Order: sequence, then C-alpha cells, then structure tokens
Amino acid sequence: MLEVIVSTMPFLLEGLWVTFEISMITIFFGSLIGVLVGMLRTLNYAVINVPLGAYIHALRGTPFLIHLYFVYFMLPATGISWLQLEAFPAAVIALSLYTSTYVAEIVRGAIQAVPRGQGEAARSTGMTALQSMWYVVLPQALKLMIPPMGGVYVIIIKGTSIVSVIGIAELVRAGEHATQRHPRELMLIYGMTALMYFAYCYPVLRLARWAETKYGGVRLPS
Amino acid sequence: MDWILDFYNYRVVAQYLPDFARGLGATAWISLVALAISLSVGTLVAIMRMSTRQLLWRPAAAYVQAIRSTPLLIQIYLIYFTVPALPLLGRRLDELEGGIIALGLNAGAYMSEIIRAGIESISRGQVEGAQSVGMTYLQRMRYVVMPQAIARVAPTLLGQTAVLIKDSSLVSFIGVFELFGAGLLVYNERLMPNEGYLTVATCYLAIYAFMLWVTGIAQRRLGGTATA
Repeated sequence: MLEVIVSTMPFLLEGLWVTFEISMITIFFGSLIGVLVGMLRTLNYAVINVPLGAYIHALRGTPFLIHLYFVYFMLPATGISWLQLEAFPAAVIALSLYTSTYVAEIVRGAIQAVPRGQGEAARSTGMTALQSMWYVVLPQALKLMIPPMGGVYVIIIKGTSIVSVIGIAELVRAGEHATQRHPRELMLIYGMTALMYFAYCYPVLRLARWAETKYGGVRLPS
Repeated sequence: MDWILDFYNYRVVAQYLPDFARGLGATAWISLVALAISLSVGTLVAIMRMSTRQLLWRPAAAYVQAIRSTPLLIQIYLIYFTVPALPLLGRRLDELEGGIIALGLNAGAYMSEIIRAGIESISRGQVEGAQSVGMTYLQRMRYVVMPQAIARVAPTLLGQTAVLIKDSSLVSFIGVFELFGAGLLVYNERLMPNEGYLTVATCYLAIYAFMLWVTGIAQRRLGGTATA
C-alpha cells in the first residue's frame, strides 16, 4: 500500500498542480466577466438587462458539462478557424463563463445591498456616476463580496474535475491513470484524490466562513 | 431552409426522439430518487448537527464538510468503484444505484445546511410552547418545528433541487443512460454535436424554467406568510 502511495503520488501532485493552474486562471477571467456583467446589471436598462439576464439563466439552467461540450465540440463544428480550440483553452473558457454567472449575481447583490443614500450623497457632492461608483459604492460593496467569493472559488475547484472528460490531465484524470496501473487499489487512489481536493477546498471554505463572520456578506445564490 | 438543416438537422433529432424521451425519463427518475434520499439524509444530519452531544454533531459536521470540499465526480467514482458487495444485496452496486446514492448523499449535505437554517429560524417560544403542553421531543419536531421550518426554506430547497437535476448529468460518466447520455448517443452515432447537445441543453432549460416557476409559487404561497 505504501508502495502504491509512493509511486502514484508524483502523478497525483502533477494533476493537483494542473487543477490549481486552471482554477487560478478561471477565477481571474471568471471574476473579470462576472464583475462586468454584474455592474452592468445594476444600471437597470432593459436593453442591457434582458440579454444579460438571459445569459445568466441560460448558463444557470444547464449543466456545466453542456457548456464544456458546447465550447469544445460545437464551436469547432461551425468551421470558423479561430473557434477551433485546444482542450485547455476550451476548458478555461467554459469554466470562466460558468463562474461569471455566480460572480455577476454576487456583485449585483452586493452593490444593491449598499444603501441608496450612499450613492445619492456622493452624487450630491458633485461626483459623476462613475466617481460615486468607484470611490463610494464599490469599496463598501467589496467587503460584502469577499465571503461568497470563497464559495465561488470552491465551486471552480470542484468544477475543474469535470474537464477531465475532454482529456485534460488534472487531478481526476491523474487519478484515473493511476488506477489503470494499480487496478486493485481503486479505493486508495480515489481516496487520495479526494483528500487532495479536500486539502485544497476546505481551507478556502473556512476562510470564507471567517470572512463572513467578520464582514457579513451577500448569500451565494444556489 | 438548407442553412437550418446544416446547423440543426431536426429530422435527425426526430429520429432520435424516443432516445431523448427515454433520457428525459431517466433523468427525472434519477433526480426524484436522489431527492428523496437527500431530503431524508439532510433532515437526519441537520438534527444531528444541532445536537449538543459530540458523538452526534461531530460526525454530522464532518460529513457536510467532506461532501462540500470534494467534487461530486470523485464522490460518484468512490461509491461506484470502491463500495464492495453489500451483505443485504448480495452483490455490488450497479451504475444506476451507485450514481443515485452518490447524488443523494451529495445533495443531502447541502439540503442539511438549508434545513438546519430553517430549524434555527424557528423562534424559541414555539418550542417552549410545545414543551409546556407536554409534547415530547419527537412530537415537537413533527408537529411544531418541522412544518414551519420546511415551509420557510421550501424555495431554497427547490433551488437546490434544480442544482441536483443539473448534477445528475454527471452519472453519465459511469455509464448510466440519462438525458445527457442521449446527447452523447447522437454525437457518437452521427457525429452531430449540435443535434445532440443543443437538444439536451433545451431539455435542461425547460426543466430549469419549470423549477423556477415552482419556486416562485412556493415563495408566494409559503415564504411570505409563515413568519413567527
């Protein structure tokens, strides 16, 4: 048993590193898109709000597996050359879009949770709409966004397990390879994989809980 | 009309309609059984978690944290591949049973957190009132606390159910045929991704729309009035 652990550990750690890479890239791009969508949604113009609402519902209403297959199999079928994506960019794009819907709802909720009077007071001192957003509303909203963002980060980490299906050598894939070499040690290998996810996610969840008791926060939409 | 057929050949979809219907039925059935498991497990775990006895609340808390910190895919693999032959069953779990149990146990952790929030939101006076008329613990739970708690968190539970239905697509990884599997079938046999996956996506969206509608009704009927 010890021998199996020693021989598979390097591969699993490599997989964990890929999982880490994907989740870091995704949280960056997912947050970028999400903040943009969420802020645009607070403007309350129907022209912007309806398509963005449809975007969020479309992604919320379908499994992530569908998004992944959409980006990896259906976009290349259009025949357009720059949509012929490799597995890694396809995974990151699909996961970022999925993440953005959560971030957008958090950003919108947090901005709307800042009392209206704050923005109005800023405007009455002669700030422009952008200035009042940047200097007054956003800093207050940011505090409310931190705790649920921890939950989103965990959702991303767990989401990366699914991209193993298009052949990315992340943690689950590494585990599957290891089980092919040690077919009798399924429980041990999948158990180790699960423990690695736990070691990665649990501190994030604890941190999010701690941040929630410290700052309060908007609830993560389920 | 040719460009439509190029992009989405509905004649092929019509040909595979029985498979899509079978997949939709399987998804509905899997979700329903998993939901029943998750609600039973969730209620039990929520009550254990709120106990003051370490022997009860520690395992419950560990269960919730373990489920929340690991991906569903790994949970499905662990249950399907590593649970040995069960004494009562006399054999190992098949794909469908393994998938449903993993889904149910996964959702159970999230359901338990929601149910616990519901129970904790019931005011102390309700319990004291029930105590003062001589109700036992089980009676208080059954007749006073639970009905109010469930009514209050029903919309959230329904939202989690929508997540459960989406998550059920992952059991296709261990070879269970359900809605997503129907899309895979079309892609594998005809190499037509649009016809397979767009159809499946539409079905999931329809389910989601239905769940939103039911959640809305629950919110109006239950959310507003049951305040203590």
